[in-house]
Amino acid sequence: MKNTLFKLLALFAMASMLLTACGGATATEQAQAEQTVLRVWIQWGDNPQQIQTLFDKYTAETGIKVEVTAPLEEDKILPSLTGSEPPDVLVLSGGDLVKSYYKENLVTELSDIIKAGGIDLNDFFPAPLDQCKMGEKILCLPWGTDMYALFWNKDMFEAAGLDPETPPATMEELAEFADKLTKTDADGNLTQVGFLPDQGWGHDDLYVRMFGGFWYTDDGQHVTINSQAMIDSLAWQQQFYTKYGADKVLAFSSGWADAYMSADYPFYTGKMAMYVDGEWMTGPNFISAFKPEASYGVAPFPPPADHPERANTAVVQGTVAVIPAGAKDKDASAKLLAWMMSPAIVAEEFCFNANLPTSKKAAEDKCFTENPKFKVFTDLMASPNASYIITTPISLELNDAFGTAYERVVHNGEDPKTVMDELQAEFEPKLQEALK
Amino acid sequence: MDELRMGGRKWNWPPKFRKWEFRERAHFKIGMLFLLPWTIGFLIFTLYPMAASFAYSFATYHPKAPLEWVGFQNYADLIKDDLFWKSLYNTLFMVVIGVPLTLLMSFFCAVLLNLKVRGQSIYRVIYFLPSIVPTVASTILWLWILNPNMGILNTVLGYIGIQGPNWMSNPVWSKPGLILLGMWGMGGTIIIYLSGLQDVPTSLLEAAELDGASWWQRLWHVTVPMVSPITLFNLITGVIAQFQYFAQAYVFRGSHGLGYPLNSTLFYSVYLYQNGFLWLKMGYASAMAWVLFIIILICTILLLRVTERFTYYAG
Repeated sequence: MKNTLFKLLALFAMASMLLTACGGATATEQAQAEQTVLRVWIQWGDNPQQIQTLFDKYTAETGIKVEVTAPLEEDKILPSLTGSEPPDVLVLSGGDLVKSYYKENLVTELSDIIKAGGIDLNDFFPAPLDQCKMGEKILCLPWGTDMYALFWNKDMFEAAGLDPETPPATMEELAEFADKLTKTDADGNLTQVGFLPDQGWGHDDLYVRMFGGFWYTDDGQHVTINSQAMIDSLAWQQQFYTKYGADKVLAFSSGWADAYMSADYPFYTGKMAMYVDGEWMTGPNFISAFKPEASYGVAPFPPPADHPERANTAVVQGTVAVIPAGAKDKDASAKLLAWMMSPAIVAEEFCFNANLPTSKKAAEDKCFTENPKFKVFTDLMASPNASYIITTPISLELNDAFGTAYERVVHNGEDPKTVMDELQAEFEPKLQEALK
Repeated sequence: MDELRMGGRKWNWPPKFRKWEFRERAHFKIGMLFLLPWTIGFLIFTLYPMAASFAYSFATYHPKAPLEWVGFQNYADLIKDDLFWKSLYNTLFMVVIGVPLTLLMSFFCAVLLNLKVRGQSIYRVIYFLPSIVPTVASTILWLWILNPNMGILNTVLGYIGIQGPNWMSNPVWSKPGLILLGMWGMGGTIIIYLSGLQDVPTSLLEAAELDGASWWQRLWHVTVPMVSPITLFNLITGVIAQFQYFAQAYVFRGSHGLGYPLNSTLFYSVYLYQNGFLWLKMGYASAMAWVLFIIILICTILLLRVTERFTYYAG
């Protein structure tokens, strides 16, 4: 008995030694391969497998392995930049913090890398590229881009006696249409809403541009959040809540955001007639997937009646790529970044996701032009009134404070001027402090 | 004091040490070796971060540059920060309203679950089950339960003629909504109470019954004092947990900003996270963490002092 046990043990020992030997060999091979592995971290990413497949093409072309990590929680971004092993390329969901990162020496200024990688800046649409510039410096490169326009439900227009093919031509008309499209029951509870200015998330950047202003001066040196344009845009949004009782509107629309990727989304179920959303809705993954029979139209958001020249105003948002300051091999990062920005790759990635390409050449690809609804957005991108979100080192903090102020004004009916004056008084000194 | 009473036995204090034998010394070394993994983990992952955050709290933190010492500036700024006070108020609301309410309800449930009825163990399982549901999952579930439009809670309230509130978008009702959510997952507290209830000597209860005490009198004069150490334990762990309230609030806002609606769910830890990890103000966040540490410390000491009179340790 004992003898058998001993033999068995010996066998195990030999087997494990053999395994270790094999393991050793693989480990060395891995070490050799690891020298040429590049790491790309992408904050946004509904479909990480698809992104990995895209980057596998880079491996096929160059033999350099690329490892994709996506998506990332927002609190992983800072450690990824400050750690000793930062990714070689980092794609952020927006440009809001890039200037703050640069100030803290966390991201690389890209001029040299753009030159080394042979990246053609003229191929970028100006609006998304401008958000990456700080004076002469270029801190990031836009990759995928989003724009927003007005969506309307044609069936609901028809039922309300409106022409289903004609969207409102001015912001004032939009409010009139919304009133005709809003219905309440005997108790005054809403059963249908005409327009929600902040369905899903806020679109203040778009509305305030329509009223001719922004949160900051164009150079980003001063806060202008209590400007007349800001006050007008909030007062305009307020009416969609106060007219029907903010509490009633909030109760009616509660939980809608969670139904975003389903057939129960209020825009298809006849509960909401108009709202503002992005280009991806017109692609294969959203409306045509969840509610193919939906009858809807898309048009640029209308300007105010007394400023027709502001037609086709739109605000660009979207992902931007940065190279962490601590990236080990800047040349390798530069080559990978150049490859990511090449028209063919941009076209492939954003065709798949139905997002706007940042490259003008890629935008000529027929997948961006053959769908007339998608083309509304492509045209907006090239519009001279297309602009970007001005960012400052206090962008995130002001955004969060504005979120609360927005609720106070739009959902609680407070006076926009009073509330915005408070924000101005608090944040102008903060901005001056941060810009020092 | 030379004598110390412990478990009814007399101990000499301080104990007289003799020289260790070889075997004892060897055991000591082995013992230390077993302690080593924990000790290293504690030093690296607890003590060092605590010390670092203490240092950061007196500085402006730059990830890639040396700390910029600012003395007590971060602490002084906290006093002037409205959101800091708002977040402290929100947190105290959960502590002062949520904890006693949860204790009361879980004690009540434990008493019911302790009744000798058919299917007792099934009831116990049902009440305990929610506490093993992960926080994020249970919070998302409650987002639907509390939905003012199609949620089950307001629907049921509607049947009895009550128009339920906007639990998620009305700043008055968001915290009560979160307290409800917390009470749903109080299975852990119930279990601790249940074990305490089983330690209440039946002889005492029978004696009280023979003396003509009603069910309520037995509960109030025998059971409640006998489980008072359990109440104290649940109270202190509950208070600490509420002071650190984070995950539910983080998920509960849905697609809105942190603190939605109107900063009514901006709890202390949420605001700390926002400062440190989203606004890159790690020094400020560290100061907040130390202020919270001191608040919890003071609260715990106060609770122990105040409850001394009401807590009865048998044996």
